[in-house]
Amino acid sequence: MKDLGGNIGVIGPRSSGKTTYLAALAYWPERKLERKQKSAFEIESSDELEANAKIIEKAKERILEGSSFEPTTVAGGIDDLDSYMFTIKVKRFLRPPDPINLVAVDYPGEIFNELVNGESNSLHEEFIEKCLRKDVKGLLILLPGWERGSDSFYEQMIRKFLGLMDSYGRMNDLRLAVAMSKCERGEIWSGRLDPEIDLFNMHLRETTAVLRKKLPRKNLEFFAISTFGVLSRNNPRPNRVDEIGQEGVNSVLREPNEWRPYGMIAPLYWLSTGKRLSADV
Amino acid sequence: MGVIYIGDRFSGKTHLAMELANPKCNHVKVVSPSYDQLKSMLYDEENSSTKATDAAKSVYQRFIQLQVTLPTGNKQISVDWLDTPGEIWRASWREDNPKEWEDFMQNIRSSEGVLLIMSPYRESLDSHPEKDLYITQQQWINRFNRWVDFFRHECPNLRHILICLNKADLFCEEFSREAGKLAYKPHGAGMNWQQRQSYVCNQYFRPVLPSIEEINRSIRGLSVRCFITSVHERSLLELPWIYLATFLAT
Repeated sequence: MKDLGGNIGVIGPRSSGKTTYLAALAYWPERKLERKQKSAFEIESSDELEANAKIIEKAKERILEGSSFEPTTVAGGIDDLDSYMFTIKVKRFLRPPDPINLVAVDYPGEIFNELVNGESNSLHEEFIEKCLRKDVKGLLILLPGWERGSDSFYEQMIRKFLGLMDSYGRMNDLRLAVAMSKCERGEIWSGRLDPEIDLFNMHLRETTAVLRKKLPRKNLEFFAISTFGVLSRNNPRPNRVDEIGQEGVNSVLREPNEWRPYGMIAPLYWLSTGKRLSADV
Repeated sequence: MGVIYIGDRFSGKTHLAMELANPKCNHVKVVSPSYDQLKSMLYDEENSSTKATDAAKSVYQRFIQLQVTLPTGNKQISVDWLDTPGEIWRASWREDNPKEWEDFMQNIRSSEGVLLIMSPYRESLDSHPEKDLYITQQQWINRFNRWVDFFRHECPNLRHILICLNKADLFCEEFSREAGKLAYKPHGAGMNWQQRQSYVCNQYFRPVLPSIEEINRSIRGLSVRCFITSVHERSLLELPWIYLATFLAT
């Protein structure tokens, strides 16, 4: 059996849903078992690893109980960064699945916001250095904004980040899975099926253009992710509630019993293998 | 990094702290000190009331070990319980005690969470015989806004502010029913934190909703949660600590 996988970084601006995404990913195997849900893939999240165990606990205590996560900060330095281990197994006809072992790191959003503001410091640079090291196979970039103004902010952020990638010699050997996060929102839910055309071309035109221009096409893919999902197949209202928070709104899960994330695995699978799974996985 | 416990005079801070240690608990248990130890420290048997916190000291620092039972198991929280005298908020006291004020500010700046205890306002106490002892709604709003300014300007690193409108038994019309509605029942059996927050804010904090939004917006990474509390209802008394446990427990 081949062992695919590798180190993956999850990056994006503040409040883009990075920690919630990783918490949901870590908790999902247990959740599926409890709800007796079946799917074409399996994900294993080892709760023997302290960071995994902690974030699974947080998923239960916060996501399921209508609360949210605190922002991940740079305060503790890179030694305090949490890494989570997952094994993804995609089922195949008459063949055992190839396990993909992933180590995913949750980077603080402020690093990416400060790229635009030009206020990066040596601490931020340490994070960037770790994120662009040669042993990192790919990055999942979460971008939640589609409203007016988001595109130009992301375009600046991505342009600066690509400059850093270039300086670390990673322009041709680092995969970038660029995902619009929080896709349960009514205005963008319908665009999830073809995110490149209906989300990125439509709402983040400049950001998309700069990514396409600078990166080899084989190392760039666009995705749609919704960690909370919608209420049901016939009721596409977002399974989330917004409340006033430091970035305008904080979102929490609305109906835990109806929790069905969308598109959580596909970007990780592509980052590891270069192959796309069906969109809703 | 601890939790600081503050509020104006006669808001019931000491009584709440003491009652939390009562062995008849649901989800939150004070492991140490014991109820009797805490009572002897805080309660005046002769006058059958809590002892007023000495204004000469800016902060009484007590170490309290809490155990909170969450769906994921028991959580231990170590709390540096800082009980402040009401006088500390008076400008004259600050001028007379600059060193103590500075000590207090150092404590609050390094704390992770604040529990702000507030008394109800006069207009919410329809039939209470001593309602004239309480401040008016307008005074209460002004006081609240002073707190908002304090948090915004002095505590930019705070992550959690829990505002407890105390003495809920005095202003809730159907107190027991209200307590039952808000009680912590995990696994979707009762309200979740967002629903509680929305309900309590709209029901009891309506006059200051814009100010709450202002604190939320102005301090990055901060979460403000509102509660009603009473020493006569264990479930309400425990709620802020259960909420904190999901963030602070080790």
